[in-house]
Amino acid sequence: MMWLEFIIQFVIAMLATISFAVLFTAPKKEIIYCGLTGAVGWIVYYLLTNNGMHLVLASGIATFCLTVLGRCFAVVRKTPVTVYLLSGIFPLVPGAGIYYTAYYLFIGNTEMSGFKGLETLEVAGAMVFGIIFGFGIPQALFHKLSPKKITLNEES
Amino acid sequence: MATTKEVLALAVEIADVMLRNGGEIYRIEDTVIHILKAYNAKSFDVYVLSNGIFASANEDQEDSCSMIRHVPLGSVNLAKVAYLNQLARDLCNHDCTIEEGWERVKTAKNLPGYSKWIEIFFCGLGSAGFAYLFGGGWLEFAFAFLIGMAEQVVLHALIKYKASRFLKNVFASMFVSALSILVLFTGLPLLQDKIVIGAIMPLVPGITFTTSIRDFHNGDYLSGTIHLIDALTTALCIAVGICLPLAIYSYMGGGALLP
Repeated sequence: MMWLEFIIQFVIAMLATISFAVLFTAPKKEIIYCGLTGAVGWIVYYLLTNNGMHLVLASGIATFCLTVLGRCFAVVRKTPVTVYLLSGIFPLVPGAGIYYTAYYLFIGNTEMSGFKGLETLEVAGAMVFGIIFGFGIPQALFHKLSPKKITLNEES
Repeated sequence: MATTKEVLALAVEIADVMLRNGGEIYRIEDTVIHILKAYNAKSFDVYVLSNGIFASANEDQEDSCSMIRHVPLGSVNLAKVAYLNQLARDLCNHDCTIEEGWERVKTAKNLPGYSKWIEIFFCGLGSAGFAYLFGGGWLEFAFAFLIGMAEQVVLHALIKYKASRFLKNVFASMFVSALSILVLFTGLPLLQDKIVIGAIMPLVPGITFTTSIRDFHNGDYLSGTIHLIDALTTALCIAVGICLPLAIYSYMGGGALLP
């Protein structure tokens, strides 16, 4: 049963990321890789939070994983990493946080609103560090994946 | 051999289109520098901001030239960025002449996107997917799918009538929030918050936020700040849009939607 839920989450995260890749007009050939990047990011987040990790730290680690995966795809597929990163990061963007902050503020529950607002900012901060650490890995390591010598900006 | 002016004009044009379509600052500067180097420009400087490009080459020589572009913040088109990245790489390897380069820039500008109906379908699918991922069930999935599709139709209309970025986000999230309250009247056991969260995902500023972080990471603090402010105002607009229908609902005597 747990495995079934796991697979459903993976597939749906992939479909959702693919949808966003289409909305941002990603190249047709790369769409499936965008989906994979997003699904891996989400599944890391899902596993970590389900095993009791706090969602801020989990967001950071998941962002790191998807950034690294995006960079791998970028080198192998010779496409800017932007394509994978921008679509893949969407499942982790704290859209729910924005909603709850606004909602609780609206009904006058300032305590919950402040809590949710701070949590949203913390998640955003964790994602910042996830991305920065992901890009901190030297490009030379990724070049080993490359089919042939690279001359121009696959890096970052 | 191409003159400096021709090379710089092409490089800046490529940079312009990339910047318009969501390329990040570092890549754009890097692209211009690589093209200029490949065509033996001796001394050059490139400075790119989130909405401007400044470039000069061979300043102290006979054929000196410089270019300035103003580039408004636009919508994201990743296919164009990827296409131009490939073009820049070919130019640097001299697999492509300047004339062919101009042709390909023209192709890039008119690169066909996905059709309207495909976008509508995928906006629905994306919204539905996120409604499920954030803890909704299959019922929420279905409703978020319908609302997401309607949302994209509204977005198309707003873009057609040239609504500003603020208005676009406020109206679209207002529309989503209102529809999600309306579906509660079907009497089904729905989680209204999951539907709204799924349906606002296409509006959430994930792209500008990510671009902003990467600008900061590469030391482009000014562009990073501009993108960050763009992300924050978008989030604020969404929040305002969500609250207005809720206000009307509670004014008309509706109860609390969440504990």
